[in-house]
Amino acid sequence: MKQKYIFQQKVNPLFTLVTLGLMIAFSLSVQAGDNLDKSISGKVTSSVDGEGIPGVNVVIKGVQEGTITDIEGNYSLSVADETAVLVFSFVGYNAQEVVVGNRSVVDVKMTENVEQLNEVVVTALGIKREERSLGFSVGRVDGAEANRVAQDNVLNSLSGKVAGVTINQTGGAGSSVSMVIRGASSLSTDNQPLFVVDGVPITNGLNNVAEFGSQNNVDYGNAISDINPDNIESITVLKGPSAAALYGTRAGNGVVLITTKTAAKGDKAKVSFSSNTVFDVPFKFLKTQKKFATGYFSYTPDNFGPGEFPVVTPAEAAGAGMELDRGYYAIQWDSPRDANGNQIPTELVSHPNNVKDFVQTGINTTNSVAVSGSNEIINYRIGYTNMRSRGLIPNADLLKDNFSLNSSIKANKSLTISSTINAGRTWSNNRPNTGNRGSNPLEAAYKIPQNLDINDFKNYWAPGQEGVQQYAPENYNNPYFLANEVKNGFSRDRIIGNVKADLKITEDLSLMGRYSVDYYTEVRETKISPSYTREPNNGAYGLANSSNLEKNIDFLLTYTKDLGDFGLVVSGGGNSRYTKGKYLSNSSGSGNGLIVPNVYSVSNISSGALSFNSSLSERVIYSVYGIANLSYKNFIYLDLTARNDWSSTLRANERSYYYPSTSLSLLLDEAFDLGGNVDMLKLRGGWAKVGNDTSPYNLNAVYNNGGQWGDATMLTYSTTRLLPNLRPETATSWEAGVEAKFLGNRLRLEGTYYTLDNVDQVLQISTPGSSKYTANNINAGLIQSSGWELMLGGTPLKNNDWSWDVSMNLSRNRTKIIELAEGVEFYEFWSEAKSRARTYVGETIGDIYDAKMVVVEDPNSPYYQYPIIGGGDSEWQAIQSADTRNKVGNFNPDFILGMQSTLAWKNFSLSMTLDWRKGGQYQSQTYRYSTEDASSQIWLDNAINPNGLEGAELSAWLKENEDQYIRNGFHIVGGLTKETGGLPENFSGKVVNDGYFIPGVVQTAGADTPNDFEDDVYVENLGESGTLVLPYIVSYPWDFGAPSLFDADFIKLRELSIGYRLPTTFTNKLKIQSANVSVYTRNVIIWTKGKNGIDPERAFQNNSSRFVQGVERYNVEPWVFPIGVKLNLTF
Amino acid sequence: MYFIKNKILIVVGLMLTMVFSCKDLDELNINPNGPDPEDTDPYLLMATVLSGAGTSVVNLGYGDLAGVMQHTQKDGWGGSHNSYEWTSSSQGWNGYYRILGNNQDMFLKSEALGYEFAMGVGLVMKSYVFGLITDLYGDAPYSEALLGDDDAYREPKFDRQQDILNGIFADLETANTLLSKSVSEYNYINKTQDIIYEGSPSKWRKFANSLALRYYMRLSVKDPGTAQTGIAKIVGDPTTYPIITSANDDANMDYVGANSSNSWPKNYVFDTGGGSDFRRVKMCATLVDAMKLLNDPRLDQWAARVEIPIEVNEDENSTDEITDGIRYVSRNLVDDYEADFGIPLNTSTDFVGMPPAALQTPSAFNMSPDLNQASTNPHVSWVNAQFTEASGDNLKARLITAAEVNFILAEAALNGWIGNAEEYYNAGIQASFEAWGIGDEYDDYMTETGVAYDATQAQIINQKWISSWAHAAESWFDYRRTGLPDLQTGQWVKRDAIPVKFYYPLDEEFYNQSNAEAAIANLEKTTFNGADPQNSAWSKPWIIQGTGKPW
Repeated sequence: MKQKYIFQQKVNPLFTLVTLGLMIAFSLSVQAGDNLDKSISGKVTSSVDGEGIPGVNVVIKGVQEGTITDIEGNYSLSVADETAVLVFSFVGYNAQEVVVGNRSVVDVKMTENVEQLNEVVVTALGIKREERSLGFSVGRVDGAEANRVAQDNVLNSLSGKVAGVTINQTGGAGSSVSMVIRGASSLSTDNQPLFVVDGVPITNGLNNVAEFGSQNNVDYGNAISDINPDNIESITVLKGPSAAALYGTRAGNGVVLITTKTAAKGDKAKVSFSSNTVFDVPFKFLKTQKKFATGYFSYTPDNFGPGEFPVVTPAEAAGAGMELDRGYYAIQWDSPRDANGNQIPTELVSHPNNVKDFVQTGINTTNSVAVSGSNEIINYRIGYTNMRSRGLIPNADLLKDNFSLNSSIKANKSLTISSTINAGRTWSNNRPNTGNRGSNPLEAAYKIPQNLDINDFKNYWAPGQEGVQQYAPENYNNPYFLANEVKNGFSRDRIIGNVKADLKITEDLSLMGRYSVDYYTEVRETKISPSYTREPNNGAYGLANSSNLEKNIDFLLTYTKDLGDFGLVVSGGGNSRYTKGKYLSNSSGSGNGLIVPNVYSVSNISSGALSFNSSLSERVIYSVYGIANLSYKNFIYLDLTARNDWSSTLRANERSYYYPSTSLSLLLDEAFDLGGNVDMLKLRGGWAKVGNDTSPYNLNAVYNNGGQWGDATMLTYSTTRLLPNLRPETATSWEAGVEAKFLGNRLRLEGTYYTLDNVDQVLQISTPGSSKYTANNINAGLIQSSGWELMLGGTPLKNNDWSWDVSMNLSRNRTKIIELAEGVEFYEFWSEAKSRARTYVGETIGDIYDAKMVVVEDPNSPYYQYPIIGGGDSEWQAIQSADTRNKVGNFNPDFILGMQSTLAWKNFSLSMTLDWRKGGQYQSQTYRYSTEDASSQIWLDNAINPNGLEGAELSAWLKENEDQYIRNGFHIVGGLTKETGGLPENFSGKVVNDGYFIPGVVQTAGADTPNDFEDDVYVENLGESGTLVLPYIVSYPWDFGAPSLFDADFIKLRELSIGYRLPTTFTNKLKIQSANVSVYTRNVIIWTKGKNGIDPERAFQNNSSRFVQGVERYNVEPWVFPIGVKLNLTF
Repeated sequence: MYFIKNKILIVVGLMLTMVFSCKDLDELNINPNGPDPEDTDPYLLMATVLSGAGTSVVNLGYGDLAGVMQHTQKDGWGGSHNSYEWTSSSQGWNGYYRILGNNQDMFLKSEALGYEFAMGVGLVMKSYVFGLITDLYGDAPYSEALLGDDDAYREPKFDRQQDILNGIFADLETANTLLSKSVSEYNYINKTQDIIYEGSPSKWRKFANSLALRYYMRLSVKDPGTAQTGIAKIVGDPTTYPIITSANDDANMDYVGANSSNSWPKNYVFDTGGGSDFRRVKMCATLVDAMKLLNDPRLDQWAARVEIPIEVNEDENSTDEITDGIRYVSRNLVDDYEADFGIPLNTSTDFVGMPPAALQTPSAFNMSPDLNQASTNPHVSWVNAQFTEASGDNLKARLITAAEVNFILAEAALNGWIGNAEEYYNAGIQASFEAWGIGDEYDDYMTETGVAYDATQAQIINQKWISSWAHAAESWFDYRRTGLPDLQTGQWVKRDAIPVKFYYPLDEEFYNQSNAEAAIANLEKTTFNGADPQNSAWSKPWIIQGTGKPW
């Protein structure tokens, strides 16, 4: 063992942390006291309403002794003599000093300090700053606001509240939630900001999607959800690099600082309790057709002879069969059998509520209790929260337990030691696959043929074959079977904590030292019972164990000096960051299965079928940094920062990188007399650079193990060529803004414009495979983002009984690829459903390209731009998207608008948050698949049915409306029944009225010379004789992406809450300090432009190894209308 | 006093913490998760190369090329199988270059370590896979390929096909020398890693020379002089140039069958799609009828008999029922079917092949009751059930066989380049029977009409085409060279001719643009290019330019 590892080995960081934390907790009982002889009492009241103010600090000046006022505002204490001076202080009020004199009763009226309210924000490294002095834009959400409605992931509560922040919940409760600040600017990462909880940077990779078994993708939720919303005091969002430069490497996407609750200064011991329950009531589903049985042809009884019955079989996995609810009879899959074993025909009846019957109301209950208190020496808060949640899909759940301890102790006049510990477990007995085909129970529920009743599938084992064979048609999965017998459990234990010492060395000089740890371990276990259709060998089993440790040691030395008009704060510090990730996984490889059914153990997998893997990843970054804050007369504030990092992931000569930042805040209201109505007018600007290293082991490749061929080993080289001399990436940003407050703070404005240049990104570019490598790592490119954020807030109403606060934020971001590597024309984000999200150099990120329809290109032809029908299948012909540049959309929104309003009347308050995303498109694989198998109502509704017109009349009518029905898009003429315009088509002697045709032309000559129109000959395909009529079942244009591309615009009511604070007269009787009750709803989709029953927000999905924007694939939990109740009590 | 001490303690403590926790940053970034290529035994790459080549040959020859060569047809998702609906994004070559990349690593390390056996195997496999690439695509990166560790070669130039072939001949000559020693003379042979010949240099030597025969014969029309000289040289000196003449020496790789990636393709055992991969493939009438004509017993090895034969009931009207395993259908319904699809009903009771690309919806073939894409049509011959297994005696990747070598020699002899064509022809058939485990039926077969040697190239190629079952790539290259067997395209095809190559992959057009364009310019456009640019499966590569073949 090498010497330098000794420290690391000998001292277990967790042990240290827990021990220190407990020491502080135990010392809570220690109290200090002195003998004093003159008794003073009195009442502290507010100058506004004359009511007593509880919790006011009353301190004897110079002695550091004191008390706080009780619930009525009364206090009493003893002082040494008449010269004693009492200092009364309370947040939001101006502090007062009062000489005791010969009085024994000292009553005090405190005046509100409007300016002081909400002015202090936590910035980088936990430094508290007055907001007015900041030269950059920050977003703030206080704990009460973040916690107004129950959320399983704290990030959800930020939706719509902070300008420039996009939150995407990628699935149902417990799934990953993405947060992107000021748009995605990195091509190779997930663009998530850095999260810092009480000074502890915590790990939050977005990608926690994994798969055991075939097509069983499960989103286990990203680790930020371990943060307990009930513990949060405030959240600060540092948006640009200028605000975040001090956090280095990971701060390029912004920083989210979370401060957890501590006892308020001078709080007597108090107990607070909150209980929060929300019911998610499903109400809106996919628009699937419910009128047709499973089948390929929409037969009618006329197609069958007397006494002959059609067979309606799920083997024909499509929804273009016989019409339901018409009194037709058929032999169905579940038809009973007669004595001879022959199935008896039954009536074809629809079951329109199948999916509704399958899902259940989701319930989430969160209960929290916390004890807190403080005095001059110690301050503590101990909390416990538990959450129990059941999902919309039967058997899906998510549970959490969380303990927190927040404490500080003033060891003496100059030394304060504090510690925060958050420990918890998040687990689930089953996380269903909600984002792909295969084991997704919702997909299976939607696939149950409309002529079968899903309730008949509840007993999901085939009779007499329990544990062996599910009850379902062949090649189908019973949704109840999937929900109950494909079990994806996990549990994650996590501890986040720190110990911090603040030492005041002299009046001007202070030192902070901190040791912090974020450690979690996650176990995932998947058990798949026999007969899941994609696991042919007794089901499947997988077990994975991962752990992540991040350890930070940092110190900061601060020197503060007031030189009359000039103020100066200079700090210098250092940080050592160590991260270590471990992963171990054993599973039956996809399709390989188990030896014996229903035994879930790694040893029940035969050695050749076992898929195994382990990995270790370590990284260290050492940093030093400096900060200088200069101010002049409260009117100019200048910040300068500098940081240098040394990263283990880069080669020695590239390892060190330096980056500075600066920002300036000018307060015009302080400099000039702007009149009494202007409370603040600030101009601000900032510039910053942030450096970024790369991931560990990204310089030199190792051989991969490609598995065994019998006894032989198959090592293989990596087809991605690594670059040993990678340079650090650099993001450079500018921002400028204005902030203003008018009319006694009742009108507030803020505007920011920013740009960000991302240079030298570590990218993988594609290279020809013949060079040995299909991808090369390079340092290249210039990605440029720019955007603006506007905030408008006001208090239109404020008097004794009423107050109304409203604010709106609006933001827009655009990111362009200005430059990539030499010879590289574009960057591809994804390729799905025949579309490709590609961004060409010089263009905006998010563009979506589709195959191009083959149309008449001859501008002189009467059929100009008509589709040319043909190919092997007599349908639309496609020029693949790879061979053409046919832009059809962009996955990014045009702008995001958030609105919040809080209306208070006496003890009632009404709060709401709206979120409007305008613009953008997404590709829906759900729609594509369900239309291909003819189960989409939308496609059916879009079929053209011109009131029984036929032949020449039909052709003439189509040509009259050619722009609407022939050119521009994908149109079909026909339907599924005669009444709805279905055209007769002949199938093996049966004439069925489910035919359609594509309005267009057939090219009979000249196709081989695309540039020569002279020899082109076209024949109309517009309904006259000779028109190619095909069955409806093959009507969907599978070769194109655009038919399943939808607008992503939506408006959501993120929160709506009505709260009532019980009057003190009432609560006093119950010996309760305060009591609040509220009812609320959240995340209600009010409107989507796509109108297909899909939540466009969910079009943000894991695509092989990373989340991508603009793709939706069976991520189709029904829309819900939540109803929640919350109760808060403080004793 | 106390305070000061306290302060000093804290400051010192913090500094110490930082210092002691310092780690060696270089050491920390050494990847612990896999072996360093610098010091890894090159033999550990050998099985990767051999299995890669083996599975590629089967994936091609039991996949779409079996469709092209009309061994099989698919009745679901059959566009690229039945109808050549290929484009530049259909068939990439990165997988082949990946095999070559591993092979190059193995060769260079072996060379440095003096492992001559592994070097010999490396040269054979280099020739084998580059040969396959040039067979499939024509000109291709060769001399500058796989040098991407040097930025200057990130975009390798394409070499002309004849230069690649000359390189192959030279490498095989070197391999023949490297592999000429007895086992004990080599310093290191890892038998386990050689999943084809278990470390036998003499067998690898035969493989090398047999492979050279394959490529000399490839030139029989384009450059008959080289072909004749090369073949005569090898056949004339069997001591220096031993070749594979008996099925025992076939270069076969057994499938393991332990998991989906080391199992015979489209098996039932590990199919996560419920067996649909296997079910979609049906026997093609061209092969079935050709073999039935010769009463070929191998058909029973490869194909399944039709599950439910059909009989036409001439007397009834609109009746259709299955009795005792036979479906009786009335004439009027058969007429409807034949009118709808334009092909006759096949009422054979043993084997029913599906005519190539004859239906727009092939799942409806022969009055199938099941129109699904993974069709369970009982009125057509499926592939033999032994191919649903994950591994088995007959489930081998056959990289080169005695049958092939003998047919090559038969053709050479027919051309008058070497000895007795009939002997080679008979030996080819016998080797094929033995390879499929029915050597005892060989004698009877030789008495069937049309089997006895008739001194035509058509007959030799016909037998070679039959024997290439599940390995149809080789017969595609023969077809391209000879136009034999005389295959007809079906109605529902992209172009009305059998394609002669794969499209150059889009990746190269994107990422190796100027070199790919130069190679494409060297292709010869034909009338079947249609709307394709020069990069087409119907553009002729060098090896058939000016030969008037295959169509």
